[in-house]
Amino acid sequence: MAGLWQNIDYAAFVALFCIGLYMIMAKQNLIKKLLGLNIMETAVFAFIVTSGMVDGGNAPIVAPGATGPFASPLPHALILTGIVVAVSITALALSLIIEIYRQCGTIEADELKGAE
Amino acid sequence: MRKSLVALTLAAAAVPMLIGVAGLPRPGDGSAPAHTHVVARYIAEGAQETGAGNLVTGVLLNYRAFDTFGEVMVIFAALAAVMAVLMPAAPSRPAGTPGNGTGGLQVSPVVAFIVRLTAPFIAIFGAFVIFKGHVSPGGGFQGGVILGALLMLLSVVMGRGMQAPLVPVRLARWLQASAPLAFAGVACLGLALTGTLLGYPAAPEMALVRELMMIVLELGIGIGGAAIILGLFLAMRGD
Repeated sequence: MAGLWQNIDYAAFVALFCIGLYMIMAKQNLIKKLLGLNIMETAVFAFIVTSGMVDGGNAPIVAPGATGPFASPLPHALILTGIVVAVSITALALSLIIEIYRQCGTIEADELKGAE
Repeated sequence: MRKSLVALTLAAAAVPMLIGVAGLPRPGDGSAPAHTHVVARYIAEGAQETGAGNLVTGVLLNYRAFDTFGEVMVIFAALAAVMAVLMPAAPSRPAGTPGNGTGGLQVSPVVAFIVRLTAPFIAIFGAFVIFKGHVSPGGGFQGGVILGALLMLLSVVMGRGMQAPLVPVRLARWLQASAPLAFAGVACLGLALTGTLLGYPAAPEMALVRELMMIVLELGIGIGGAAIILGLFLAMRGD
């Protein structure tokens, strides 16, 4: 329990992740499901970026006036890649939702199940 | 029944994760694995080795350039997939009703004027973020998204039936592919100079070449990012 209190930042990201998971499972609207997926992605990104933080650390930009300690640049670079992939997923999912709406006239998952 | 199932699944997901994070090192702990191993070397020698004061850009374009190559391919493939999904349906709808603004939604003249007024400044800021991305906060993706947002703003203000698109369609296709093309070009240059794909020449007197290769990558990513963001927006709007 002491470990959980010390890592309360990480616990907050677990809560955020669960909010997104709840949206994916409980909501019927496909756009809301996609929003839930984005919230889950955000939770993961925030978790990994936070792990790269260091006490009293500066941004990892080495310039003449800058002094250490520097935050770890590796999680930032990985998450930059992750954000771009998340944007790609969102764009593709949105375009599929648009096409579903054009073909079926609804984006509610339960109505789509009845329509097939 | 359904609600209890959802609650059960959430608990089954949350409890192992909470137990897991309780055992992690404290956030900000300098001896955590996220700060040892390769990262210590990146921070100690990255600025000299890559020529990029911004270590995130150095990691992204030099140490882990192959990851970034894959990433630009992913977003390019996403654009291609979005166009494949949405484009066949486009001709079926009346192609842009000219003179009708944004298809029913009239943009206020104040908004249109302010967007036109601020556009050059946004463009300069985007270019600055792209070109100074290796020594200051910023980089190709960030600057590209700023430029893409500017293009989206302009295309909202200019209305749906843009009679003369900003760039010809054939040129736009090449611009959208500019990030993978820039990577391919730099990868082949690295092959010619060092014998490995995406290799950067290590000699100190080649520092200018290294910086130039990085700027080419940043520029390709920035232009490609802006073109892809605009392409996604236009494809979804049905232009």
